Amino acid sequence: MSQRSERRGIHVDQSELLCKKGCGYYGNAAWQGLCSKCWREEYQKARQRQIQEDWALAEKLQREEEAAYVSSHSSSQTQPPQSHSQPSLATFSKFEEKKTNEKTRKVTTVKKFFSPSSRTAPKKVPPEKESEKREKEKEEKLQGRRESHGETLLRDLKGIFTQPWDMGSPTEESHEGKTPSPSITRQSSIETDRVSRDFLEFLKTLQKPGREIHKQSRAFIESMGNKKDLSAEELSECVQDFYQGMSDRLLNHFKGSSEKVDRVMDQVEKYIMTRLYKSVFCPETSDDEKKDLATQRRIRALHWVTIQMLCVPVDEEIPEVSDSVVKAITDIIEMDSKRVPRDKLAFITSCSKHIFNAIRVTKNEPASADDFLPTLIYIVLKANPPRLQSNIQYITRFCNPSRLMTGEDGYYFTNLCCAVAFIEKLDAHSLNLSPEDFERYMSGQASPRRQDDPAAWLQSGSRVNPALSQIHHNLSVLSNLEKRQQQVMEGAQSLQTELAEWQDSVAREVQEILERYPLEIKSRASAIDAENVENDRLPPPLQPQVFAG
Amino acid sequence: MAAAGGKTYSFKVVLLGEGCVGKTSLVLRYCENKFNDKHITTLQASFLTKKLNITGKRVNLAIWDTAGQERFHALGPIYYRDSNGAILVYDVTDEDSFQKVKNWVKELRKMLGNEICLCIVGNKIDLEKERHVSVEEAEGYAESVGAKHYHTSAKLNKGIEELFLDLCKRMMETAQVEERSRGNGASQTSTARRGVQIVDDEPQTAMPAGGCCTSG
Ligand SMILES: Nc1nc2c(ncn2[C@@H]2O[C@H](COP(=O)(O)OP(=O)(O)OP(=O)(O)O)[C@@H](O)[C@H]2O)c(=O)[nH]1
Ligand SMILES: [Mg+2]
Repeated sequence: MSQRSERRGIHVDQSELLCKKGCGYYGNAAWQGLCSKCWREEYQKARQRQIQEDWALAEKLQREEEAAYVSSHSSSQTQPPQSHSQPSLATFSKFEEKKTNEKTRKVTTVKKFFSPSSRTAPKKVPPEKESEKREKEKEEKLQGRRESHGETLLRDLKGIFTQPWDMGSPTEESHEGKTPSPSITRQSSIETDRVSRDFLEFLKTLQKPGREIHKQSRAFIESMGNKKDLSAEELSECVQDFYQGMSDRLLNHFKGSSEKVDRVMDQVEKYIMTRLYKSVFCPETSDDEKKDLATQRRIRALHWVTIQMLCVPVDEEIPEVSDSVVKAITDIIEMDSKRVPRDKLAFITSCSKHIFNAIRVTKNEPASADDFLPTLIYIVLKANPPRLQSNIQYITRFCNPSRLMTGEDGYYFTNLCCAVAFIEKLDAHSLNLSPEDFERYMSGQASPRRQDDPAAWLQSGSRVNPALSQIHHNLSVLSNLEKRQQQVMEGAQSLQTELAEWQDSVAREVQEILERYPLEIKSRASAIDAENVENDRLPPPLQPQVFAG
Repeated sequence: MAAAGGKTYSFKVVLLGEGCVGKTSLVLRYCENKFNDKHITTLQASFLTKKLNITGKRVNLAIWDTAGQERFHALGPIYYRDSNGAILVYDVTDEDSFQKVKNWVKELRKMLGNEICLCIVGNKIDLEKERHVSVEEAEGYAESVGAKHYHTSAKLNKGIEELFLDLCKRMMETAQVEERSRGNGASQTSTARRGVQIVDDEPQTAMPAGGCCTSG
């Protein structure tokens, strides 16, 4: 793709400043020393290479699948594959047209790449590492960016406990949003395979047209592979044109039975959107991601909104009701995990059914829109569903319109859109609050839930935010502890004096007793015979006698 | 969106009107033939469908209830985009509710032009004694804006079948006209599509949200 136009630059001698390609423009370190134009060309070449690779891969896959289809459906083999006109040719020529516009879009892509909000962790990837970026892109393509439930829950919990002043901190923005979880890789390719197999199985039941539908769907997916740089709206247009063409042809085939057409179209949507999901969900060319973050932050900032303010007709004290509420929250969060627009819709519908049940149990009458919408708003506020805006946009862009516009699913989806719009625009008036109260709640100076808190008296008119009141609370706990410690000390002291008294009294008592019964100690005789009373009765000691001899 | 060329028409009809005028009662009467009944079988009365057969053509009617509270007013455009018909309900005993209908008409015509079939419905005619909106005024107004006017009572089941049947016939005509003109026009890239947009309405006079019968 050559797109060199005539030079208009002023030639400058400082060669080190110039584009390395020698085209005469200034280079830029951020573009590997190339000028913007050459850089773009380089980038595009690399891109082109990748597109070719993708294309080759896609062709290989198609051959495989065709083979699989033919072998599993030998009855239609007699029909030459080229016998039908190729309706997707029209889209091909359109695609050529669009290529001419691609230049301008490339610029935005490059710009996006440099802008701090770019999704591929811009701070860590220096712009000159172009190949790395592609690597990343591939990785992302493989992994998907679904957050696990645990993560979502964790983040939501964090949201509850985040203090208002660090809610809007810029660093946070780049951390949340997309957290790739590597375990998805295998799962997603398995899912794709399964969906393809199911699609083939389904088409077999349609006999001849099944083959044609399959071929066209494949061709369409391939053609979309080359359109990754189109804007989200253009991508949507391509898919919607495809739906329209396909359903018109089916309508002809089924002689006007729109139920049959819808059934086939559901399968077609499932097949193509499972494959396209990675490249068209929250595409880089859109600002969906920014909106996601804004909404997420907004919902977090509204954590103080109560059931009463919204006039939600559910009573969570009733176990069945709170059970339904939890299920509704789970469903609306789970929506993000699905790839097919209709599957996402199904989760919104299921969420709505749980809401209706909660209302029905509480009010004992069928819910009207005036019951349903506030409750849905409440559920969205409580759940803070991940990538809410991206999901809404994705469904709007890529869902089969017949489902979206008149069906029951469409009604609930519309209400979800309303809920999000309401949350975005919500003000004091919409919650029946005075503007002052609303401001105080929004800024975190006060919280409607804390009014009966024991620390409330400390807030007497002054500007007290939750952290301060927490400190006050801690202080009062501390002083309480101090008091108790003093009591303990006093107790110990009195115990001590008591002990001392007891000691004294014991001593006194002993003394008394001693006095009462004086101990008379008689002095003992020191000689053995001293005490011998009957000494005199003893015979006189023997006298020595001398005998003459 | 009507099923193009097929034998089955699918129509979306929105119900608009102030709180308490009887929107929910009207659809429940129409789809379930019940009024203030504890034994209503549907889990919800916010989205109801009805299958009809009109002069041999099948019609799937989807009736969308909308939240009527003041604070949800700005969401109207999200509800009524792509709808084929709108039923604007007022309470004949409540002049205010008729003024609200006039506002809706203005907004609908501005947003959707003449593609949408409008019905203005004065409900609760069983309370004739307390009527505060004159028949002449209401019918005159309807005619001046290209809408049809109906008198109904959800309580006594009056005028409701006629209302919906009439509306369906008109929507079928509109759809047929559109089909024909599309058939003549070269290519129909019917893709002026569904962007979500909200129209800021003129600043509301601060009024307590929720009417007399807001639950909660
Ligand atoms: N007398 C009489 N009462 C009616 C009639 N239709 C409705 N009502 C009463 O009016 C009240 C409101 O009716 P709803 O059907 O809930 O009104 P709504 O327009 O759906 O109100 P929101 O859902 O709040 O917008 C209920 O008490 C009904 O019983 C009617 O034809 N005649
Ligand atoms: Mg109602």
